[in-house]
Amino acid sequence: MSADDRVEVGPASEFEDGDAAIVQVGRVDVGVIKADGEFYALRNECPHDGGPVCEGKVEPRLVGEWGGPGERVDQHYDDDQCIVSCPWHGWSFDVETGEHIGDDRYILPMYDVVVEDGLVYVNDE
Amino acid sequence: MIDPSEHLVVDCDWHYADTFEQVAPYMPEPWKTKFQKSGWGGTGVKQNLSAFFPASTGNRFNYGKIEREFSEYPDGGDDKQDVVEGMDHLDIDVTLQISHLILAMGGISADDRRVESFVKGYIDYMLEEVLDPDEGIYGLAPMPYHDIDASIDVLDRIEDEEAFVGVVMVTAGASPPLGNRKYDPIYERCEEEGYPVVYHTGGSGLDDYVRAGYQDMIETHTLGFLESNMSQIVSVACQGVAEKFPDLEIVFMESGVTYIPGLVSRINEEYLKRSEEAPMLEKKPGDYITDFYFGTQPLEVSARPDLLELCFDMIGTDRMLYASDYPHWDFDSPSVITDLPMLSDEDRKNILGQNAVEVFDL
Ligand code: FES
Repeated sequence: MSADDRVEVGPASEFEDGDAAIVQVGRVDVGVIKADGEFYALRNECPHDGGPVCEGKVEPRLVGEWGGPGERVDQHYDDDQCIVSCPWHGWSFDVETGEHIGDDRYILPMYDVVVEDGLVYVNDE
Repeated sequence: MIDPSEHLVVDCDWHYADTFEQVAPYMPEPWKTKFQKSGWGGTGVKQNLSAFFPASTGNRFNYGKIEREFSEYPDGGDDKQDVVEGMDHLDIDVTLQISHLILAMGGISADDRRVESFVKGYIDYMLEEVLDPDEGIYGLAPMPYHDIDASIDVLDRIEDEEAFVGVVMVTAGASPPLGNRKYDPIYERCEEEGYPVVYHTGGSGLDDYVRAGYQDMIETHTLGFLESNMSQIVSVACQGVAEKFPDLEIVFMESGVTYIPGLVSRINEEYLKRSEEAPMLEKKPGDYITDFYFGTQPLEVSARPDLLELCFDMIGTDRMLYASDYPHWDFDSPSVITDLPMLSDEDRKNILGQNAVEVFDL
């Protein structure tokens, strides 16, 4: 891959967990998100109505566990699953897969991200 | 087009016109004595205008416009022979009897034992005098769900009775709504026993469900029945009853079918925006709803045929159960199903009988 096939995002050290940066890759906007120490790149266009999904909140997913009949469903944040929620109407997507957490027919296209010499790049393909 | 008389017809919603006079001898004390000493019968109080359960609104017979031998509420109440004759009249092979009076239980919010005592009396009365599997007359046991222990007592009572094939939860008035964890023990037990839960809308105080002051039955009958089923469907679906109890069969009765696609569309839209508020769900709430079963009556055949076709398509003809609601004023006979042009004969037979055989294990 030549250097031209990728877009430089910036120094990895400038990202905290939960931070996102929006870059233009080809003709589309891509959100580069750091979550749980890893970088992910997702298309910044919400399949609902085109909202800037990657500019929304990045946070662990709230999940429920049921202890048995009559028990309240225990709701807690699962630190192993991180989601980004579109700021327009709240559709939420798994940052690792790009899938909507409620309906996996809706998927944000994902892009390859690499960190090289302390710099974050998104592959353009 | 098939002829209902030549095929199995199971009516999943027959209303047995019970009276307090009939049931009282079977009620536990002190309610039995309270009722029998009350003199309510002597004051001319009829079952549809009762001091025991709150009353319904409006005149079901449209102030004399509807006159039909088989649709009156007889003052003396039905007896087994009325059921047998009615089944014969409509060409129905199997009926699931639902207490007519219990539909008003939603009007009771007092923490007393009226509902429990009525239900216990009703069950003994029906077992003793009406239900008869050999004749295809089965029952659905009402759940006094305000009181979980009493509901479990009822399930203990019917556990070995072949004549009861499921339970009824009256959707009107259930508060908190029926997806609440409070009701889990009922669902758990029903799942264990293989009893489908039939959620049945109710007609007590129809003008009072959401806001008071409707004036005529046309208004309340349009809104009230839908509203009380919809409010419970949303709760049952979102709180994950179907996830908690995956083998439980869930049936919603008596609101027609055209409201379902609208509700499914709306709840799915909400879920896409707020999925985390329903963390028990593994799929969209609408996907659970279309896995529930639905009684067909009163089928909105006068709706545009393409709308009805779309509704059947969304719900699935394998999820629909013929119901007459007989002898109520707006009952549907089996021809409502056999006359639908968009169905195949296979679909017609399934809706009329086969689906119910599977759901209720008849
Ligand atoms: S545009 Fe993203 S949730 Fe509506």
